Amino acid sequence: MDEIVAEYIRRTVLKIPRHEIKTMLQTWGFLSEAQLQTVNFHQTKDSVSREVVQLCKDNSADIKQAALLDIIYNHVYPNKRIWSVYQMNKSGEETDFFDLRDFKKKFKRRLQTALKNVTINFKEYEDNAIWIRIAWGTPYKKPNQYKTSYVVYHSQTPYVFISASVIRSTLPLLCQALVVASNYHDIREMELRSHCLNSLKDIVFKRYSQTFQTYYPRPLQERNVTSENVDLRIIQENKNEKERILRVNREVFGDGPQPKLEFAQYKLETTFKSNPSLDVSDIKEPFRCLVKFSSPHLLESLKSLAPAGLADAPLSPLLTCIPQKARNYFKIRERKGIFPGSFVSP
Amino acid sequence: GVLAHLEALEARAHALALRQEAAEQHEEELAGLRAKAQELRLRRDRLRAQVELQQQQLLGNEGVAPSAEPDAAQRSARAVLEWKTRSVQDLLQLFYLTGLSGKRTKHGACFCLSTAYEGTYLGCFYVDVTVRPQVRIRRHSVPAFIPLQQLAARHLPADLKRFLSVLSDHLNAYVGRRYQADQLQERFSSHLGGTVQRNSLCNVLAFSYNTSGRSESFPFSARLLYGDPCRSLPTEAVVLC
Repeated sequence: MDEIVAEYIRRTVLKIPRHEIKTMLQTWGFLSEAQLQTVNFHQTKDSVSREVVQLCKDNSADIKQAALLDIIYNHVYPNKRIWSVYQMNKSGEETDFFDLRDFKKKFKRRLQTALKNVTINFKEYEDNAIWIRIAWGTPYKKPNQYKTSYVVYHSQTPYVFISASVIRSTLPLLCQALVVASNYHDIREMELRSHCLNSLKDIVFKRYSQTFQTYYPRPLQERNVTSENVDLRIIQENKNEKERILRVNREVFGDGPQPKLEFAQYKLETTFKSNPSLDVSDIKEPFRCLVKFSSPHLLESLKSLAPAGLADAPLSPLLTCIPQKARNYFKIRERKGIFPGSFVSP
Repeated sequence: GVLAHLEALEARAHALALRQEAAEQHEEELAGLRAKAQELRLRRDRLRAQVELQQQQLLGNEGVAPSAEPDAAQRSARAVLEWKTRSVQDLLQLFYLTGLSGKRTKHGACFCLSTAYEGTYLGCFYVDVTVRPQVRIRRHSVPAFIPLQQLAARHLPADLKRFLSVLSDHLNAYVGRRYQADQLQERFSSHLGGTVQRNSLCNVLAFSYNTSGRSESFPFSARLLYGDPCRSLPTEAVVLC
């Protein structure tokens, strides 16, 4: 077995938390159950990884198996990387059947004709997600297994989730290969990025809870009517206002959990507007300003702003439109409203 | 000496007396305020009772005088209201069961497309449209693999009815195919080798199976293609042995 492959497997095993190593190796399926029994998973990770590598050597693992283990690791821990969402476009309405073999063949062929030194691996999951792992090399060097890009594509949807490698120049090549393989015309980057892959999927596939006005009685959650004060002599002066805030909040954000985003960025390119008495209003150049909101869970914190009394309800539509517009990077220009990102054709 | 001591004691007694007086005054004030609060509460209760009485009178449409009569009128009015509410709810439920229902919103309307397959209701999808200046989709909960944008480009803004009808066909067909695939997996799992391979739209199914359900080998492999996105039956089937 290649030393590079051995070292790669060892390092991948080291990344896995100790209590998860056995389950992940079982999912991988390359080592038999009997072989796994021989490993003591309670010793230090260093020793565990060396034993695993030894077993892999016995089974003559190659780079394909190692790549598969890497994909499995990233599938279980996708939040370690930052994902961007891309949208593909096609004119014409033919509903294609999406042949997986055809897709894989075209993708590989396109990438390999452009760049010979790449390692490409695929894995399909139950929810129709296709995971693609690409390790990049140069025309003169073999692929560097530590500089990888990952692509998650759900067939028959126009959306692709890419976690790019540090080598920025590989991105256009990757996009081109995707467009060709999936029979689309062009691809553009949506202004939507986050660590949480599932939340990005929820946003673009519209799986998060939206409130729609409907007559059909949805089962309303019984809200606990436990009032802290049973004393009827105390009257809440602001009861109406509080109820209004809760109602408006509910209409905007819905009842369910919000998708998890870490930041929202607004780039302002508006002119400075001020009191006419100050002499700065004649500056015609836009006042460049960048506002960035960050939080471990941005949308949940926005949802709790109004009930906590920290902001007026309803919140600014610039904040509440994030899941619906499927973007968290905005450019605000003068008077024309929000300016969307531009298309990039290969 | 002793005189100073006596003076000190006198001063202390004086101070104590003052404090006691102050405490007594405080107690009196407190008692006075409590009595006032009690009085106000009684007054408030009386006024509340009066207000309720007046409301009852208005509902009962009687003249002055309290007692049982406005209660009866109130009860029958309430019964009528309940009946009306129930019949409206049933009507709305009926609309939901037809597969297409809607509600006007301040922007336009929100349509609910409910889907079913052979008598089983399978969930609903929403499309929120604005009508001014043209009919345009504002928000929706349609999955990404249904070609919503293409359908909208083709039928809107001219023919909303047609658009909804075609979208409903697509959604019902997709949901029907998905349901069939789920049922196949669930009810014939002993005949199937592994899981049924499908794609997002469930219009390509591939699986291997046997006919007996008891043996370990799955000699047949089938591939079903559903060519028409608006139908939930396959257009092509390839079986290999």
